[in-house]
Amino acid sequence: MNEPVSERFLGGKGALTAILLIAFAVSLAGIGWEDGVFNTGGLRAIGQIVAAAFRPELTPETLGIGARSTWTTVAYAWAGMTVALVIGLPLGVLGSGTVVRSDWARRCNVLCSRFALATLRAIHELVWAWLFVAALGLSPIAGVLALGLPYAGILGRIYAELLQDVPAAPLRALRGTGASEWRVFCFGRLPMALPDMLSYTFYRLECGIRSAAVLSFVGLGGLGHHIQISLQDIDYSRMWTFIYFLVALVVIVDVWSSMVRHRVAIEQG
Amino acid sequence: MAQGRAAATGDPRRRVRFLAGSALAAAALAIASWATIFANDLFSPGDFFSGRTLARGADFAAALLGFHSPVAPAFVDPAQWAHKGRLAAETLGMSVAAAGLAAAGALATFMFGARNIMVGSLAPHDSRLRRSPFFLIRALFTVSRAVPELVWAMILVFVFTQGTLPGIIALAIHNGGILGKLGSEIVEGLDTRPIRALRSTGASWMQVLLYGVLPEALPKFITFLFYRWEVIIRTTIIVGFVAAGGLGTEFRLAMSHFKFTEVTLILFWYLALVLFVDVTAARLRKLAQ
Repeated sequence: MNEPVSERFLGGKGALTAILLIAFAVSLAGIGWEDGVFNTGGLRAIGQIVAAAFRPELTPETLGIGARSTWTTVAYAWAGMTVALVIGLPLGVLGSGTVVRSDWARRCNVLCSRFALATLRAIHELVWAWLFVAALGLSPIAGVLALGLPYAGILGRIYAELLQDVPAAPLRALRGTGASEWRVFCFGRLPMALPDMLSYTFYRLECGIRSAAVLSFVGLGGLGHHIQISLQDIDYSRMWTFIYFLVALVVIVDVWSSMVRHRVAIEQG
Repeated sequence: MAQGRAAATGDPRRRVRFLAGSALAAAALAIASWATIFANDLFSPGDFFSGRTLARGADFAAALLGFHSPVAPAFVDPAQWAHKGRLAAETLGMSVAAAGLAAAGALATFMFGARNIMVGSLAPHDSRLRRSPFFLIRALFTVSRAVPELVWAMILVFVFTQGTLPGIIALAIHNGGILGKLGSEIVEGLDTRPIRALRSTGASWMQVLLYGVLPEALPKFITFLFYRWEVIIRTTIIVGFVAAGGLGTEFRLAMSHFKFTEVTLILFWYLALVLFVDVTAARLRKLAQ
């Protein structure tokens, strides 16, 4: 950190900068530019869309639909998060490799659950949703599972990392009293990691709201469904009304979750 | 926020009460949500919790694996492997272009969305004038990231030519908002002493930003960019559902034409891409530190 700033970025990181810029240039060249950038009437469409942002449709009917579909979106997000917790917490605990002492069993546990978590989160929730709707039919359970599985993968991975990262000294003290590995977990590791786990869960909740809004793309209700319908009718004012509902919802959950996280951080000291 | 922080740090009892209340509210919302899910018109417990659901799931899994498929499964055909591989490469290109555009947009704006630079302790004396750009940029970040990339893509297919461009721009707008917000928060959390020292030498506000703030914030920003790339590769397939290009469009077509063995092949390439990007991004993050 002592060398001059210019060296740190142009001298030291020159290679990285070059790699990034070249990759970006190559990717831009891969776009088919021969048809031009804008659609016929594309620029006019931008004008209409932007103008509509300033006069969203505010009829009681639209607002009513907006409020109802906002609740549908919240319901999917929350139900999905409960599924994510139920699957992610046990897998995260196993994946942290902290509840068993025997080396062989631990390695097996960690490997299996880490692999399961990685697979769950590798596939995007909307791909899950499409597969579930194809497999189970158009049922809200398909939507909840589609949201719950990838979120379980993300929560489980972070839980496993947080559980591993707690300070070792208090745990050694507990082990010194003759506590079993399971008791060390319950009375040492878990309470120490819990605040961060809670914070992260609340942060994911915010992402879950956004994800729930697009689940409707496969035919389940919610705000995304009405945004999609308004776009099909080329009714930009109506679309903006629903987008503003979504923005307001995300902002409310965002503020709530950051208030919780902030207070948890203080309690932790 | 500032008053909220002061109140929160002031009284531990109120803090605990708030957390307990939040936990209760979260639990109540969970119960109400499940009630809503079960009350949904699309949900019929008698139908869902019957052998039929299981049978349908099993049928679908069998179709993915190529049982009772009238034609040869796609994953035994080398030409199909090559075709989907090319689409995977296109998807990778789209994700890099989107990440690059998002980074460019965020880099151009993130410092002007930081409270301390624009209205707080590091602002120039006429900071009143800069209040409106600060709020404007923060509002732009909020709207662009609150709207999911899929919705942006649905809107942008009206604007840009059919091709990969609408999807790339949609990804760039959403992720640009996220990177912009994260970047502003990095700046707000910076150690201000070197920056103040720079200003005390007589550097102008713009010079302070370019030589003091930007180099301090950049390493963390780049790290966040690589993390976002891991998310972007997963969502590039999603924007392909509505815009053209890459594995996403192919997935949509294969699903709507019931070519389920192609779906399996596409999912394989998708997982390979995700793994590749996760490993590469981790390498690059190490390189950036």
